[in-house]
Amino acid sequence: MMATRPISYAVLRGQVIESDLIEFGGRSGDISFLAPDPQKIASRIPLASPRLMEDLYDLSFEDILDYLAELGARLDVNGNDYLREAREHSYATAPTTKPIMDHFFHDMPFMFDKERIRGMVDFNIGVDYLERWVEQEINGSKVGIRAYGARTLHIVAGNGPVLGALTVLRGAVTRGDTIIKVPSNDPFTTGAIARTMVDMAPDHPITKHLAVAYWRGGDEALESQIYQPHNIEKICAWGGFASVKHVTKYIQPGIELISLDPKRSASIIGPQALEDDEAIEETARRLACDFSVGNQTACASARMVYVMCGTEDEDIEKLKTLGQKAYDAMFDLPEVLTTKPKRYDPDLKSSVDSLRFSEDFYTVIGGEEGEGAVIVSHTSDRVDFWEYLGDRTVNLIPVDTLEEVLDVVDAYTQTVGIWPESLREVVRHKGALHGGQRFVQLGYVFNGPGLVGPQDGIEPMRRIVKWIISEEPSEGRKGFWEADKEDIKVVA
Amino acid sequence: MATTAPPQDATTEREAEAWMEDPYGYFGHHNTRIHSLERGHVEAVQLAAMNRRLAERRDQIQVLQKLADGQGIDGLASLDDMAPLLMPHDIYKSYPVSLLAKGQYGKLNTWLSRLTRHAPNEVDVSECDSIDSWLVKLREETPLDVATSSGSTGTCSFFPKSKKDYQVSVMGLRVQLAQKFGGDPRPGDINDAMHAVVPLYRDGHASTGAFPKYIREAFCKGDDSKLHTAFDFKISSDLMWLAARLRAAAAKGDASKVDVPPALLARREEWEQSQAEAPARQMEFINRMVTQLRGERVFAMGTSNMFYAVAKKGLEEGIRASFSPDSVLMGGGGAKGVPLPDDLEEVICGFFGFERMTSGYGMTEMNSFSILCEHDHYHVLPWVTVFQLDLDTGQPLPRKGKQTGRAAFFDMTQDSTWGGLVTGDLVTIDWGNTCKCGRTSVALEKKINRVSELQGGDDKISCAATPQAQSEAMDFLTGLGG
Repeated sequence: MMATRPISYAVLRGQVIESDLIEFGGRSGDISFLAPDPQKIASRIPLASPRLMEDLYDLSFEDILDYLAELGARLDVNGNDYLREAREHSYATAPTTKPIMDHFFHDMPFMFDKERIRGMVDFNIGVDYLERWVEQEINGSKVGIRAYGARTLHIVAGNGPVLGALTVLRGAVTRGDTIIKVPSNDPFTTGAIARTMVDMAPDHPITKHLAVAYWRGGDEALESQIYQPHNIEKICAWGGFASVKHVTKYIQPGIELISLDPKRSASIIGPQALEDDEAIEETARRLACDFSVGNQTACASARMVYVMCGTEDEDIEKLKTLGQKAYDAMFDLPEVLTTKPKRYDPDLKSSVDSLRFSEDFYTVIGGEEGEGAVIVSHTSDRVDFWEYLGDRTVNLIPVDTLEEVLDVVDAYTQTVGIWPESLREVVRHKGALHGGQRFVQLGYVFNGPGLVGPQDGIEPMRRIVKWIISEEPSEGRKGFWEADKEDIKVVA
Repeated sequence: MATTAPPQDATTEREAEAWMEDPYGYFGHHNTRIHSLERGHVEAVQLAAMNRRLAERRDQIQVLQKLADGQGIDGLASLDDMAPLLMPHDIYKSYPVSLLAKGQYGKLNTWLSRLTRHAPNEVDVSECDSIDSWLVKLREETPLDVATSSGSTGTCSFFPKSKKDYQVSVMGLRVQLAQKFGGDPRPGDINDAMHAVVPLYRDGHASTGAFPKYIREAFCKGDDSKLHTAFDFKISSDLMWLAARLRAAAAKGDASKVDVPPALLARREEWEQSQAEAPARQMEFINRMVTQLRGERVFAMGTSNMFYAVAKKGLEEGIRASFSPDSVLMGGGGAKGVPLPDDLEEVICGFFGFERMTSGYGMTEMNSFSILCEHDHYHVLPWVTVFQLDLDTGQPLPRKGKQTGRAAFFDMTQDSTWGGLVTGDLVTIDWGNTCKCGRTSVALEKKINRVSELQGGDDKISCAATPQAQSEAMDFLTGLGG
């Protein structure tokens, strides 16, 4: 058995570590895997001194793009044994299924396309700010601003294998020193990318400024060593209530927390979307994309759908039609986008099944075979287990007014899908006040520009750099020592 | 699936009928006999009882009819054939919450009627303006005494328990707790009026207030002066529900988004104050009882954590209780994910002067408490059939060897509801071994987890939000029996 267990390799600054392996995982039916004993490698995870970041400044932005483009070419899973192995092992750890995982891996090289990266960086930070001091005159001073890389520890989510790749890429373009703590639901992919980097350019500064390792989140003995201001400046934590919460105890002056809190998402649909059969059909197809793609494992996946169709009996009949069509439309989507869920949450099944006995108040469409279900509420109530909706299970809720919908948009609401477009102005404005963070057209939750800008109400890329200011007096600005008393102003 | 019941055996049928109707009476309230039955015999009676109940209840309880019709089940040939007829516990909160917020008790009555053989829908509730007034009305005019419990998400479940269900339930405590296993009961074990010390509410619809009136019958033999409660008033289900909703809303960042009648909102402070004062008052209560009931035979029932706090403080202050040695204390609440201190039993027994404390595993939806034996097993009463279901498929696991699965039960003594229930608990049973304590009844291992605690597993990080574990603040409310 020992030999067949997969390894989550630690890749520390150009060195692949596969010694002192110990066992992790294996709880509640999960596979177990091996990883280097974190205590044995702890001292090598952080960068010894911030001074050592100087080598990144021997590279131009174009050099970095060249490196990433070459890496992207090597991340073709068909020609990369490490990735192929990671993909194979990930089938067992990932929350999604083989066709969906295959597609993620297939698309990975496209993330490294030079123009795509350049566009993303320019849109977020501005390439100039990374390359040089951007100077301008203000209040009698010449002010230069430059974005410097930081030593950042990333605690990445594992519900899709692309987040490790995205983090590697963001670290490289910002000239950061990047430590990635991989999660137990994706312990292999990021290490495979890092191993590819080591093969490609073992001594390159970008390779040297990446450390990838697995340790159990909350391992105090280890984390209290690493999470210190002399080792890291920022912690970027993705999701997971427990994972974010336990990190907060290390936050102190000198360490900044960039928290991408756990989120959920909803859709808001206006009455026009149910006007006739054709409209219902289109709305259903759009809706199916937003709740079923990636098998509803992402924070952006729609879970509750508010439809402003009214709550009279005939309105509910229309809503049931929408529900049935959305359920059917889910099966028309290609398997690279959505499949029967890997394992239907048994508690969710029990909750869904209990509604079948409450037919005055709910209609349950599907869900008998663990394939996913559409639950149509007959009153303006969401199901009581709304927080557990997943595995392609969506709740359609009829409402009379927009206000009722906004009541449930809160700080945990990330994406709101809107249809038709005429609702956008009011929904995005009021929705933002209530806490919503991303507003998209229904059907396009996963078909947008990518993670190019703000996310969860913050701008992670702008947060993982240090914004440094350089000031010199403009010509003619007098020093205090030479100015008249009445000309001296000390203003913040 | 179409199965039929096995041919009937008259003796078994008679016994099944007796167990269903008056189980403790049938066994002469004899704890040792109840837990010394032969397994094959018990299972035969259970199967007969299941078939009787199915025939009787399928026309009385709508949800059962729907389920049995849908599955095409007319009879059960084996215990495992019951699995498709076990109902998820969520069913008792499967109503839209707005009905409650808007006080539509008529609609709630209709909903509730589908879950019981009794007929709450025949009661006129048009005058009811609160959960309390609704449930009191049902209690007055039907055999029901509906049990409520509030969850951490701000929902409230309604389990249509009947008064008889409560009576059976509390009689089970009396029989199992007042007698030692292994011998015959002494006369007083069954008939003495004992003092009952319950550091909870005197009345209420939630488990923190529902039991005392039934404890008065079974333990105090109707003597009100022997029933001692820490709070001599009724706990309001409306306030409990309000508190749960406000807490759930606050956790989501906006407590103003709760649709609550102003009159109720005004009582929020009253509630919060009583909650804040509760631990101190409970401690004062126990200390008063310790003095007042010196040398008396006492039955004490509460949450383990509360007893622990009282005992710890008492010991620090050099106080020790001296109830009569045949007194008994039952704690509970350990299976809810609340960590219990390592020295729990030592401290509690040290203070109360008992050889050991007992604890019980049970839930509102069942009449039967399983009592923990001295070898750390919860022993299930013979009129309860235990199923362990596979977490993924929901299929019953074999009743042999050592198995861990989702607990489900069929309780043939249920008077009001169907009696078949799927829980959220994960239990382990070693079917092949008889417990060293001598009881032959089915033994659950002490460690009982929530199935939901397994989801998410170890260190899996997802950007998608899932509800946090049960809030600590709910422990007091749900710590007992719920």
